[in-house]
Amino acid sequence: MERKLRGRGMAASWYGIARTATIDRAGAWAELDDGGTAKIVTGVTEIGEGILTLLCQVAADELGIKPSEVTIGDNDTARSPEAAHAGATRQTYMLGNSVHLAAQEAKKHLFEELADHWEVELDTLQSFDGEVWANGTNLRITMEDAVAICKARGVVPVGSASFTAHGTGLDPVDGSGSPWQTYVFGTQVAEVEIDTYTGEIQVLGIWAVHDVGRAINPRGVEGQIEGGVVQGLGQALMEDYETVNGHTTTHGFAKYILPTSLDIPQINCTLVEDKDPLSPLGAKGIGEPSLVPTAPAIMNAIYDAIGVRMKSLPATPEKILKALKEKTPGREQYVQNARAQRAQAHRSI
Amino acid sequence: MPKLKIDLEVNNRKISKETDAHKRLLDFLRDDLNLTGAKEGCGAGECGTCSVFVDGKLVKSCLMPVAKASGAKIETIEGLADPGSLTPMQKAFHKTGASQCGYCIPGMVMAATSALRENPSADIEEIKERLGGNICRCTGYTKIFEAVEIAKAVIAGDMPEEALDEEPVGESYIGHNVRRLDAPSKVSGRLRYAADIKMHDMLQMQVLRSPHPHANIVSIDTSEAEAMDGVVCVITSDDVPAETDGFGVFVHDQPIMARGKVRHVGEAIAAVAAEDLVSARRALSKIKVEYEELPGVYDPEEAMKAGAAVVHDYAADNIVKHIPVRKGDVASGFASADIVLEDDFSTQQVEHAYLEPEAGIAYVDPDDVIVVMSPSQNITHHRHMLAHILGQPINKVRFIMSPVGGGFGGKEDMIYQGMLALMAMKTNRPVQLNFTREESIIASAKRHPSRVHYKMGLKWNGEITAIQFSMISDGGAYGMSSEGVMRKAAILSCGPYEVHNLSVDTTAVYTNNTPSGAFRTFGGMQAQFATESMMDMAAEALEMDPFEIRRINMMKVGSKTHTQHKLTAASLDACLDAAETDSRWEKGTPNVRGSYRSDLGGDDTRAPCTLGARFMDRKTSQDERVV
Repeated sequence: MERKLRGRGMAASWYGIARTATIDRAGAWAELDDGGTAKIVTGVTEIGEGILTLLCQVAADELGIKPSEVTIGDNDTARSPEAAHAGATRQTYMLGNSVHLAAQEAKKHLFEELADHWEVELDTLQSFDGEVWANGTNLRITMEDAVAICKARGVVPVGSASFTAHGTGLDPVDGSGSPWQTYVFGTQVAEVEIDTYTGEIQVLGIWAVHDVGRAINPRGVEGQIEGGVVQGLGQALMEDYETVNGHTTTHGFAKYILPTSLDIPQINCTLVEDKDPLSPLGAKGIGEPSLVPTAPAIMNAIYDAIGVRMKSLPATPEKILKALKEKTPGREQYVQNARAQRAQAHRSI
Repeated sequence: MPKLKIDLEVNNRKISKETDAHKRLLDFLRDDLNLTGAKEGCGAGECGTCSVFVDGKLVKSCLMPVAKASGAKIETIEGLADPGSLTPMQKAFHKTGASQCGYCIPGMVMAATSALRENPSADIEEIKERLGGNICRCTGYTKIFEAVEIAKAVIAGDMPEEALDEEPVGESYIGHNVRRLDAPSKVSGRLRYAADIKMHDMLQMQVLRSPHPHANIVSIDTSEAEAMDGVVCVITSDDVPAETDGFGVFVHDQPIMARGKVRHVGEAIAAVAAEDLVSARRALSKIKVEYEELPGVYDPEEAMKAGAAVVHDYAADNIVKHIPVRKGDVASGFASADIVLEDDFSTQQVEHAYLEPEAGIAYVDPDDVIVVMSPSQNITHHRHMLAHILGQPINKVRFIMSPVGGGFGGKEDMIYQGMLALMAMKTNRPVQLNFTREESIIASAKRHPSRVHYKMGLKWNGEITAIQFSMISDGGAYGMSSEGVMRKAAILSCGPYEVHNLSVDTTAVYTNNTPSGAFRTFGGMQAQFATESMMDMAAEALEMDPFEIRRINMMKVGSKTHTQHKLTAASLDACLDAAETDSRWEKGTPNVRGSYRSDLGGDDTRAPCTLGARFMDRKTSQDERVV
């Protein structure tokens, strides 16, 4: 046998978006402010995924200004409307739509004043990147001036919105129910190389394909996928929180092994955009789903390379060496049984 | 405390200061100079969040006694660029989205800067090696590598400086790679996380934790600790209203501090607030706790057996939650199968390992509102739970989420905010609690480990006829998010396939192990690891391509999920097609064909890591030169 063997495996996955088996909701306030800027206020809690940037994009796109001109008031139970928690792959879906709707309402008030001021039909008005104009006319001003006109007419352009995702509880007996209103799917392929002398596994490539509904910030989506893949890789190959009679033996990062820069495969992301039909933005989510197929794709790749099926995570070098040692030559018994059964079935036809 | 006079240069300024002799360089920078860009991620030199330059060399400042820095030239993240500007490296991190939570980023920027200072033409393998001492938990490193390569090219003049600018917008900001608005504050070390914030007159809090996995608390004597110099207040569960003490996401089984009994190692027993951290730590050792150790239970299957130690009186069988899902007729499904596969799978307990250990500040504001600032992933629910426990109207408890240095679900379950709030109410002063890494690891919840027994019936054509899926998970000492995790695991269990006959059971069990709680995928990965392994095993048994067997069974528009929800949208077909095409997948049965498949390697894979090989190469080439 050659020392270093390679193989490939794949796995598919699915996931639900927003809180599970219950109704989910989130609120937001929006204001078109002086200077053609905007304030968005919501209890959203950014935990590093980039939700604040995403919400600035959503608000800016709806209002017709630049994302950098949006100020977000966030993460405070006493100063902002309820947005609930940072989890369940819910913030893009819940907050994105809520902010979108709140911004839409603020813009509606501005446009109503401006249409009246310009004596044009409301639906001719449009705005983008700091400018407002009326289609079919030469009327075009900055958002700064538009807000000034609106305010001079006695109106502060504000909006608020609540977005709801309808989920139901599960039946206590058969579990039936509609736990989420939208689902995402994904598929990952992994390529591994295994050193059969040391049992060390390197993941050389991951192809990660995920449906995100609509990628609001593609680079941000990739960042979530790459982070999820590497956490999945950590769980697949090295991470193991151990306790002996309730006492941990993995007190710190010397014992609890995490992926570092040398463990990282080339990660090739492809985004599928199957727009959510049940929400105005059409975006879904990616935070958690990106992690789901990684470990099984790697285990299937290990099998492809060396013919041992790792059924207990993590697949550490020690476990790989043990499995290689115990491996009986030839295919696994169940495969031989299946082949025999199938031959038998064909004979009896 | 013994003092020490230190003379050194920090970011080109001469500093002469008296400080505590026990301090590390990291403490001196953060506490004495208020340079909080260097973070304490582990305090043991393992994570790199505290990286600074000492006389031009990259050093982990948590490992260096401040006395050793005397006379040295120190450069921190704050000193890399003038205020209001960023270095090309920092701009490149901004451009590529290399910062997510940002907690590791100051250290990562220092390591990346060091890599290019040491070797401006370092190739990607060398860059990776030089970043090897810095852990990032959010990004998967990929955008960081990209940033370092762009910075390298710009610095070398191989790429114009405009390469660092944001891409111009097209017709919409939706779908546009807007650079992260919070990145400049993260790549420059300016963003202050909870542990970086100081308030006037603030006390430091420390927590006494249980050394036992299961024990009755006979008595707690705090008198000696309370009498110590610098100690302001000590709290135990006696300070929490007994009628309302108890919180949790689904079942309110967790007291703010252990009440009468401890259920896992690391559970909070008492908390001390003192004028400074050292006094608070010393006082912990003076709290006398008398325990009566109890037999513990450490295995979920053992815990369900009659006679096992009972962790919570309300649950004599130690079961936190059992979720059943039933669809169709499993018996007839298996009867109609041509082949039945049966196997067992298991996954381990996993630590979130966010680089920011738990931290927080609480104070009572002038309107008598109790304010808790902490990296909480669920300020809404934490506010509810705390208001209930403290008997306060909801609007008298205010939660502010401080910047979160990584969460992944681990900062969703409330474990310390109650103690902070109580202490602030008791002392009427701001109180801060910063966990050590070791404390974070023993006190915070983990990913649920799982044991799955799986039975799958299939037709020769690959169609799944029935699945029986049973999962047991160790929930540890408290309920936390276990119920939700079991529910999600059950709903997602059999994967993205339409299975007409299935029987699924997921069960979380109390033990005296570290609690399991919310963690990115919430049970979804544990369940689908088993399913996706079975799918490949079935594909081999049926001599089918793994994509093909999945296509035969995949959910489509109109399919009914395992919980009998009729889908109005489904995109697995598109995902499978794209993955097969993008990876240049060679069709075939997954029967150990790695040695002869033709789709391996290529530009979309990396070279295997051969750590240290470049030093060997250098040595060889030097030897050759000698020859």
